[in-house]
Amino acid sequence: MTVTSPVAGHDAAAPEEPVVELVGVRAAYGAIEVLKGVDLVVPVGSVVALLGPNGGGKTTTMKIVSGLMPTTAGELRLSGRNVTGITATEASRLGVCSIPEGRGVFANLTVRENLWVATGTGTPLAEVEEAAYTRFPKLGDRRNQLAGSMSGGEQQMLALSRALGTSPAVLLLDELSMGLAPMIVSQMYDIVGQLAEEGISILLAEQFARVVLPIADTAALMLGGRIVAVGDPADIEHELSTTYLGG
Amino acid sequence: MSPSETVLETTGVVVRFGGNTAVDDVGIDIRAAGVTGLIGPNGAGKTTLYNCITGMQRPDAGRVVFDGQDVTGLAPGARARRGMARTFQRLELFLSLSVRDNLRVAGDIVRANTRRKLDVEAETDRVLELTGLTDVAHLDVSDIPTGRARVVEVARALMTRPRLLLLDEPASGQTEQETEKFAAMLRALADDGLAICLVEHDLPLVMGLCSRIHVLDHGVLIASGTPAEVQASPAVIEAYIGAEVVA
Amino acid sequence: MTLFLTFTVLGLVLGAVYAIAASGLVLTYNTSGIFNFAHGAQAMIGAFLYYQLQVVWGVPALLSVLVLLLVVGPLMGFLLHRFIMGGLRDTADVTKIVVTVAILLGFVSLSHWAWDPQEARMTKMFFGVDSYVTVGGVVVRYHEIICLLAAAAIAIGLRLLFTRSRVGVLMRATVDDPDLLRLNGHDPERIAATAWALGSTLAVLAGILITPVAGGALEANALTLLVIDAFAAALFGRLRSIPRTFVGAIVLGLASTYLVAYAPSEWSWVTNLRDALPMIILFIVLLVLPQDRLRGAAVRTRERYEVPTVRRAAVWAGVMVLATVAFRQLIDDSSVGTLVLGLSFAIMALSLTLLTGYAGELNLAPVSFGAIATIVAFHSGIEGEGLDARMNVVGLALGVLAAALTGALVALPALRLRGLYLALATLAFGGLVSSMVLRETQERSWFGQDLALFPNGNLIVSPLAVGPLDLGDQTTFLYTASAVFAVLGVGVVALRNSGYGRRLAAMKDSPAAAAMLGQRLPLLKLSVFMISTGMAGLGGVFMSMALSSVTADHFVYTLSLSLVMLTVVGGIGYVSGALVGGLLAGGGFALIVGSFNELSIEHPVHAETFGVLSHLFLVLTALIGIGVGDNPSGNMHAIFRGQRVLARAPEVRYAALALTTVLYALAYTEVIGTWTFSLLVLVLWLALPAIGTALRAEKILPPEAVAARRATPLELVGIDTPYPPLLAEHLDRELGLPARHRATVPAPPVADATARTTTGPVAGEEAQHVPV
Repeated sequence: MTVTSPVAGHDAAAPEEPVVELVGVRAAYGAIEVLKGVDLVVPVGSVVALLGPNGGGKTTTMKIVSGLMPTTAGELRLSGRNVTGITATEASRLGVCSIPEGRGVFANLTVRENLWVATGTGTPLAEVEEAAYTRFPKLGDRRNQLAGSMSGGEQQMLALSRALGTSPAVLLLDELSMGLAPMIVSQMYDIVGQLAEEGISILLAEQFARVVLPIADTAALMLGGRIVAVGDPADIEHELSTTYLGG
Repeated sequence: MSPSETVLETTGVVVRFGGNTAVDDVGIDIRAAGVTGLIGPNGAGKTTLYNCITGMQRPDAGRVVFDGQDVTGLAPGARARRGMARTFQRLELFLSLSVRDNLRVAGDIVRANTRRKLDVEAETDRVLELTGLTDVAHLDVSDIPTGRARVVEVARALMTRPRLLLLDEPASGQTEQETEKFAAMLRALADDGLAICLVEHDLPLVMGLCSRIHVLDHGVLIASGTPAEVQASPAVIEAYIGAEVVA
Repeated sequence: MTLFLTFTVLGLVLGAVYAIAASGLVLTYNTSGIFNFAHGAQAMIGAFLYYQLQVVWGVPALLSVLVLLLVVGPLMGFLLHRFIMGGLRDTADVTKIVVTVAILLGFVSLSHWAWDPQEARMTKMFFGVDSYVTVGGVVVRYHEIICLLAAAAIAIGLRLLFTRSRVGVLMRATVDDPDLLRLNGHDPERIAATAWALGSTLAVLAGILITPVAGGALEANALTLLVIDAFAAALFGRLRSIPRTFVGAIVLGLASTYLVAYAPSEWSWVTNLRDALPMIILFIVLLVLPQDRLRGAAVRTRERYEVPTVRRAAVWAGVMVLATVAFRQLIDDSSVGTLVLGLSFAIMALSLTLLTGYAGELNLAPVSFGAIATIVAFHSGIEGEGLDARMNVVGLALGVLAAALTGALVALPALRLRGLYLALATLAFGGLVSSMVLRETQERSWFGQDLALFPNGNLIVSPLAVGPLDLGDQTTFLYTASAVFAVLGVGVVALRNSGYGRRLAAMKDSPAAAAMLGQRLPLLKLSVFMISTGMAGLGGVFMSMALSSVTADHFVYTLSLSLVMLTVVGGIGYVSGALVGGLLAGGGFALIVGSFNELSIEHPVHAETFGVLSHLFLVLTALIGIGVGDNPSGNMHAIFRGQRVLARAPEVRYAALALTTVLYALAYTEVIGTWTFSLLVLVLWLALPAIGTALRAEKILPPEAVAARRATPLELVGIDTPYPPLLAEHLDRELGLPARHRATVPAPPVADATARTTTGPVAGEEAQHVPV
């Protein structure tokens, strides 16, 4: 349990304020606690990878940051501001762009309509479309096709397009690789790497550890609702291989 | 190893969702008196295949044969009455009943279906004892932790005296000690002749418990065999870790 | 040929209006997940307001329409969403349905209040009947052209909305995945509010258009049932597709006009059939709809019901019968009838406890099943003539059986589908009974036997006589009704505690898991529905016997809906909830509205006031029904909760019991009136938890709470809240206290600075009791 500090101290946000910060965050589904005190920092302009097996709490952590799930204790800060209890709508408008696990697209909407929904944070449709079709010409060809009828890779491209046009403060990517062929996965992460180079701060959760290690600045290993190790991706990778198949 | 009979077999099962093929020409078998593992990364199609086996999902092609009979067109209930039982990844307990009554009602259903003289009370007590739930029997199911709730689902399934028990991520939400006890229980059930199929992310549990393992990746069956064979398979390692041998 | 074309045009016009109504229904259902049973009632309000503006106040037609479509419709939808629908998250489907049913009833009561239903009202077609064009020999009136154009415009408009406007795309996105919409920075609630505004406007438009097409007479009940027509049309699109809904509406419109045009002339019941057609089509569509896929759905909703043991139920059943006997001694003969009526309704309500409370399914027409049972019992069981006529037990049994079998027929098409469909099938059945069965007032040949189902529109239902038991005596009837309810109540509880009852609970909690254990869900649903409708039939026959003469008005669907609503308000998961709901629906209403009427006759000066009060009471009841969104488990649940604390201080209960006895003695000796007695006893027992807690705090409350209570002397209440540090520092500065003390005391929860300095040690003690 952390004590809520008065807001006053944070009024003058230092330039080094991390874009996302979790302090002692706990969360539960009903009586079942799934996050047992998570501390996590995403510095401005860096890529942080959450790694670990399923059930470790990665997705829940992402849901906390994106505002889809309330905390039971602890504090969520965005750019130094305490925003604990924020709703997903508000978080999104503060520049948190979250691509959830599974499909991050509306299956019964066309590609263009999906991009239209992505304008919820204020970017004009034309800009979002331009950015998406430039990066993924395939999407431009299929702008009037229903998103649900496209392949998994194309759907994920569409989901990623939301981050392209809207220049978010931080991008959350939950299991970008889910259900995708390895080729497509590495393509996706190439794009993510480019976004990172453009200076977007990124927090991503991934069970395919290896694909994200090249682009991550920091890796955090999550197990049993806690972050058990944080550090250089290469070091964590080593630790990871021992946790995964049980040695 | 004694040649045990095949209880369930799928051949050429295909399921498509829109433009995605979730399960692509999968043929697996599950044998009596043993635990069969079904593993694969997130989104590999395990749950979809499970739904085909239990009848919650009609496959676009292929057959499901249970106990020598084609059950592909049968509803879930009809399969259950032939001796198939399952647990659910997202718990599906009867929330308005106590733990004991969750088991009892399964016996009630069997008795109503078969008009068989079944001593539901005695059977309930036996299964509660067997699964180690006696101490929480009187509690509301919503008041017990997930780990125990998973055991309640197994116990409830056992009340129908199934020939095949399908478990969907039973270890998630369990503590380490709970998982250990759980594994011992499954081993004992298999020794009594039950065919068990296990979809699980906890690979140490799967490797330690299963006599045979099927591995799915992107809807395709990429390996079948003993734990040692599967762990040695380059395709499995590629799918799971990305490269490098781990086990 | 001209005849055919004429009827085709008429059918298209009717279909166009159905389409407008149905598209609004589909819109709100999909964006908010709430099926709006009040959709027809909204149309009705729209039609009446149009009448008020255009006919009564003489506002030009166009202006009236604009006001209704641009202001009233959107506002109504927005307010409904803002204040009612938004609060229905995490409630069971039953609660959502009941809330919209309550809104329906509220609108109907409002309309009866504002526009006396005895008075005939007509609205005219736009531009009158005489403005028409002739196309190929067919007369097409301007109004009809407007209907067709409006429907076409709405079809195109909705299409454009959903594909070319952002808000429309967002509405479709809400259907797909509301959470993803939030992640995109949108607020699904606001989008749902927009959809409600639009849906309500469409309802209002349909209401304005349909009245002249359907004959011109404004009738609140008929218009309210427009929801069934709209629903039947929407079913063609499985409640999702708006284009298919339009097709369904046109089919419906054409079918009903062709029926009138081409049915053989000897089919005198065709006009009735026409009214019932949407309901019949609804049944057919339900039959051909593909089965819902089983999905895992065990989500925790806010409803909670606890199950008593059979022994406990039996004790309470005994108490209830004794209380009835005791209460009988206090009331005069005329009140006995009201009480019997209330108990009859309670028996019908009990059928809902089994069906809805235990099995999670809904029957929106229990009273209509009562009508079926009454008709069968009347035709098969009456012996003797005139005042000596009695119903025999065979007639009663056949009536109950008929209700159960009818229940099976009604449920059959909807068994494979979700609960909402069954609820709608029952509502349609209620409409069917009213518009066909109860209108069978003339003799006709039924399988070679000449019979009028509902002779002269008025059945004289004689009281039951079984051996020495003769319900011709009011007191005997009262005791019998009470005993029947008590026995059935215990039976229902016993059923819940049996394997059958557990299977019902399993089906309600998780159909997927129950099916995977081998439960045949349709069979179980069918059996419980039959038991339930049989019970409703029994209650219905009792009701008819209590009234002794019944007309179609006694089985009107609003009565069913009130009963369902009041039972949910009472607590549909409890036998006592059924008792409360039934007594209120059957006796309470009549009694309270009746006493207002009597009062207004006795005091003609205040007649108007009493009239307003009685209408207000009806509207308020609907508001209470709407309130179940906040308290979905019902009031009995809350009352039980409250009473339970007294278990630790039984002497409080004994005292209350003694006081009740004293009050009873006073009432018996006519020192106090029956009303006073009833009121005092009610207040005493409802307030008992509070009284008990006040008197026996140390036994009832946990030790900390007792300590907290004692700690704050009355004069200090409210001033012991901790000061915010900034304010405290400010005070310190003002008072000239050394500021560094503050730094060493973290977040001082101390009363106030002066008290601390003057009273020393006491202050420390106080600080411990400050709520944290």
